[in-house]
Amino acid sequence: MTGPLLEFRNVVKNFGGVTALDDFSMTLAQSEILGLIGPNGSGKTTSFNVLTGIYAPSAGQVLFEGQELTGVNPRAVYEAGIVRTFQRSRLCLSLSIYDNIMIGDTSRLVRGLWSNLISRRALEKQLDVTQRQARDLVATFSDHLADRMEQPVGALPMIERRRIEICRALISGPRLLLLDEPSAGMTHDETHQLMDDILDVRARGDGLSIIIVEHEMGVIERITDRCIVLSYGRKIAEGTYAEVAADREVQNAYLGTD
Amino acid sequence: MDLGLIAQYLANGILLGTMYALVAVGFTLFFGVLDVIKFSHGDVLMLGTFIGFTAWLGLEAVGILKPWIQLLGVLLCSLAGTALIGAAIAKWLILPLKKAPQLNTLLITLMLGTAIREAVRLFYPNGSNPKAFPALLPNSSIEIGNFALRADSVILVVSGLALIGLLNLVINRTRLGLAIRAVAQDEETARTMGINYTLVVLATFAIGSGVAAFAGIMNGLYYNEINFGMGLILGLIGFSAAIIGGLGNLYGAILGGFLFAGLQVIGAALLPFASAYKDVFAFSVVIALMAWKPTGLIPERSSDRV
Amino acid sequence: MTNTPLLQSDRARPWACAGAVILAAGLYGWALLMAEETWQVLSLLILAVVATGVAIKTGFVRRVERDWAASETRLNRLAFAVLIALILVLSGAHFALLMISTVLLYFVASLGLNIQFGFTGLVNFAGAAFFGAGAYTAAVLGTMPMIPPILILIAGGMVAMVISLPLLIPIVRTTGHYAAVVTIAFGVLFRTFLEVNEVLGGPQGLMVNSMKVFGWDFYDAPSVGGLDISFYVNYALLAAGLAALVFTLFRRLERSWIGLHMDAVRLDETAAACFGISVKRTKIQAFLLGNLILGVSGALYGMMISFIAPASFTFSDSLLLVSIVLLGGVGNPWGSAVAAVIVVLLPEKLQLLQEYRFLLFSVLVMLVLLFRPEGILSRQLRNFFPDRRSDA
Repeated sequence: MTGPLLEFRNVVKNFGGVTALDDFSMTLAQSEILGLIGPNGSGKTTSFNVLTGIYAPSAGQVLFEGQELTGVNPRAVYEAGIVRTFQRSRLCLSLSIYDNIMIGDTSRLVRGLWSNLISRRALEKQLDVTQRQARDLVATFSDHLADRMEQPVGALPMIERRRIEICRALISGPRLLLLDEPSAGMTHDETHQLMDDILDVRARGDGLSIIIVEHEMGVIERITDRCIVLSYGRKIAEGTYAEVAADREVQNAYLGTD
Repeated sequence: MDLGLIAQYLANGILLGTMYALVAVGFTLFFGVLDVIKFSHGDVLMLGTFIGFTAWLGLEAVGILKPWIQLLGVLLCSLAGTALIGAAIAKWLILPLKKAPQLNTLLITLMLGTAIREAVRLFYPNGSNPKAFPALLPNSSIEIGNFALRADSVILVVSGLALIGLLNLVINRTRLGLAIRAVAQDEETARTMGINYTLVVLATFAIGSGVAAFAGIMNGLYYNEINFGMGLILGLIGFSAAIIGGLGNLYGAILGGFLFAGLQVIGAALLPFASAYKDVFAFSVVIALMAWKPTGLIPERSSDRV
Repeated sequence: MTNTPLLQSDRARPWACAGAVILAAGLYGWALLMAEETWQVLSLLILAVVATGVAIKTGFVRRVERDWAASETRLNRLAFAVLIALILVLSGAHFALLMISTVLLYFVASLGLNIQFGFTGLVNFAGAAFFGAGAYTAAVLGTMPMIPPILILIAGGMVAMVISLPLLIPIVRTTGHYAAVVTIAFGVLFRTFLEVNEVLGGPQGLMVNSMKVFGWDFYDAPSVGGLDISFYVNYALLAAGLAALVFTLFRRLERSWIGLHMDAVRLDETAAACFGISVKRTKIQAFLLGNLILGVSGALYGMMISFIAPASFTFSDSLLLVSIVLLGGVGNPWGSAVAAVIVVLLPEKLQLLQEYRFLLFSVLVMLVLLFRPEGILSRQLRNFFPDRRSDA
C-alpha cells in the first residue's frame, strides 16, 4: 500500500483560552500499531475526539486514506471505518451483551419504519447474522462470556466490560481501532490478558490498524510499533518505545523538571 | 402610540423583569451548587407569599394596623419561613438524591411543587379562591402627561433591584459567597479546603428561596391578589428565564428575567391582533431561543468529558 | 435461535400461572367497576395489595414472569380477549364503559410518552397539549359530515405531529434541563393559545360531534335482542382495538433496530453517534411517533366525552401522563397499563379521593422515584422475536 492510512496535518484545538492540541501532525501506516503517550492533559484524548468528530478542530486537516475527514460528524467517521473505545467505559449497562455489541453494527442495517415494524423478515435475518457474529467475536475473547450473551452488561466486572466495548468496536469490521486507556480500572494481569486478546483478533483479520492511548508503559512497550509523545498539546518525540523512553525531553515532561 | 403609553409599558416591564429575575436567580444558584433543577421553587414562593399573608391576618387580628409595621412583619415572616422551607427541601429531598440521575431530581421537585400547590388549595382556609392581598404601600401616583407613575411600583422596583444588588454582593464579596462559588466550581476541592459543604448548600437554598419569596410578596403587593396557582406560572417563567440566560450564571438569570418581561410587554404592546397572545408570543420566543442557543445566551462550561 | 435460553420454561403449560393472573385481573376489574360503596372499593384495594404481597413472597411473580417470557403472544391474546369479554359483560353500564375507555386511551397516550421518554430519554412535559391537539382536531373535523371518523382519528394524530414540527430543532439541539424547558414552554403556550382563541371556543371549549360509521351514529345505542346496550360499548371496543394496535407496534418498535438505537441514544448519545447512529434522526422519530400516538388517542377521547375545554389539557394533566409512565415503570407497557388503571380509576371510584387526586399522585410518584425508581414493573431485557422458540 502506498500513502499513510491516517494523517493529521497541523491540527489545532482550542477550548476558550486553552490550547489542547497545538500544531499536531502525524501519520499512521496501514496495519500499524501506534502508541500515543504523554502526561495527563497533554491532548491524547482530545486528538481522539477530534478524529472521531466529537470536536471540530480549530485549524488543520485530518485525512483518512487520502480523503478529507476534517470536522465531519461522528457518523461519517464511523462510516469511513474508524471506531473507538472510551476512557470511562461507555456501555449501556442496562442492556444485554448482545444489544451492546450489536449497537456497533446496526446503523448499517435496515432503517425504515416499515421494515422495522411491519414487514420484519429482513430484520429477522439480520438479527440472526449479527447475533452470530457478536457471539463468535465474544468467543474469541472468552468462551465463558459467550454463554452469557443475554445478560445485562451492568452485572459484569470491568475486564468483561472492556472486552465487550472492544467487541462493539470490532463487529463492524473497521480499518482503524482507537483504544483510549484500555487498562483503566483493571489490574496489570487483566490488562495484559486483554492485549493478548486484541492481538489475537487482529492476527486473524486483514491488518487492522490501532492507535492506543495508555499510561501503562508495559503495554505500550509490548504492543506498539511506534510511539508519539505529547506534552501540552504538542508532539515532543516520535519513534519506537525504546527511542522515546530514552529521550531527554520526554523524561522531563513526565518528571516535570525543566 | 404616544409617549405616555410607552412609558407605562416600560415601567410595567421593569417591574415584571425585576420580579422574574428574583425568581430566576434562585434556579441558577441551586443549579450552581448542586447541578440540579428544583422545580418546586415557584410553589415554595407561593407558599412563602401565603405565609406572609397569614402573618398579615395575624397582625390585623392582634390590632397592629400601621402599614409599615405590617409590611415589615409580613416580609420577615415570609422570607424567614420560605428560607427555612427551602433549606428543609434541600436537606431532606435534594441532597439525598445527589447521586440519582439529574432528571429524577427535576421530576421529584415537579411533583413536590404539585403537592405543595394542591396542599395549599385543599388545606388553606378557602384556599381554592384568590385572596385579596393588602395594599401596604402608599398608593399615590405622579401624573406625567397621561402616564401615572405609581409610588408603590417605584418602591417595589427599587427594593427588588436593591435585593439583586445585595445578592450579587453576597455572592461576590463575602466569605459565604466565596464558599458558594467554590462549591459551584468543584465540590471535592471545596471540601478539602475545609468548606462545610452541606451548610453551604443549605445556605444557598435558604437564600434563593428567601429571594423568591420577596418576588412573591412583590407580586401580591402589586396586583393586590394572591392565589395557589401563582407559583406555577412564576416558577415556569423563572425557570425559562434562568434557562435562556444560561444556567449557573447570576447575570444570565437577571438577563433572562428582564428579557422575558420585555417579550411579554412587546407582545402586549405590539401584537396588532390581540394582546391576549402576549404569553404565547413570549414562550414562542423562548422556544426559538433554545433552538438558536441550546445552552442559553451565556452558556455554562461544557461538562461532557469523553 | 439464541433467544431466551435462560428464560425458557420446562413446565408442561408454560402459560398457566400468567394466564390465571390475566383471568383474575379481568374478574377483579369487573368487581372494581361494579363496586359502588366505598367499603367495597376499599376492600378490593386491600385485596389487591395483599394478593400482590403474597405473590411476591411466595415467588409466584417469578413464575408469572417466566410464563410471560415463554408464551408472550398467547398471553397477550388472552389479555385482549379478557378485555373484550369485560366490555361485553358490562355492555349495559355507561359509567363502567366510560371508565374502561378512558383507562385505555390514557394507556395508549402513555405508550406514546414511553417511546419518547422511556426509549429515547426525551422528556415531554406537553403530553396533554398533543393529546388536546388531537381532541380539538376531532372537534373541528367532526362538524364536517363527509369526513369518515377513522380519518378524523388519523387527522388528530397528524395535527399533533405537525404542531410538534417547530419544536424539532430545539428538541434535537438541547439536552437535559434545557430540553425540559422546551416542552414545558410549549405546554403553557398551547393552553394559553386555546384560551384566548375565539375560533376554538376560548375558555369555554367546544362540543365534539360523536362518531359516525357508515351513517350509524355511535351515540345511537344499538339494541340487540331487546337488551339495552350502552353507546359507550362502541367507544370501548374501538379504544380496545386502538390499544391493541398501538401496543403491538410499541412492542415491535422496542424489538427492532430503531428501538435499539433509541436505547443507545438515551443511555449515551456520544457513544451512539460514534457507532454511526444518527442521534438526530432517532430523536425526531421518537418525538414525532410519540406525538402521533398522543394525538390519535386524544382524538378518540374528544369524540367520546363529546365536550372539550382548555382546562382539560393543562400542565397538571401533562404531569399526570408523565406520572403514569413513571409509576408504571419507564419503558414497560404493562406497567403503564397498571398505572393508568390506578391513576384514572381510583379517584373515580373513591369519590372522597377525587378532590385530592393530584396531591395523592404527586406524593405517590415522589415515593416511587425515591424508593423504587424502576416503577411498579421494571423494563425487561430486549427479546427481538419472543415466540420463535415455541414456533420452531
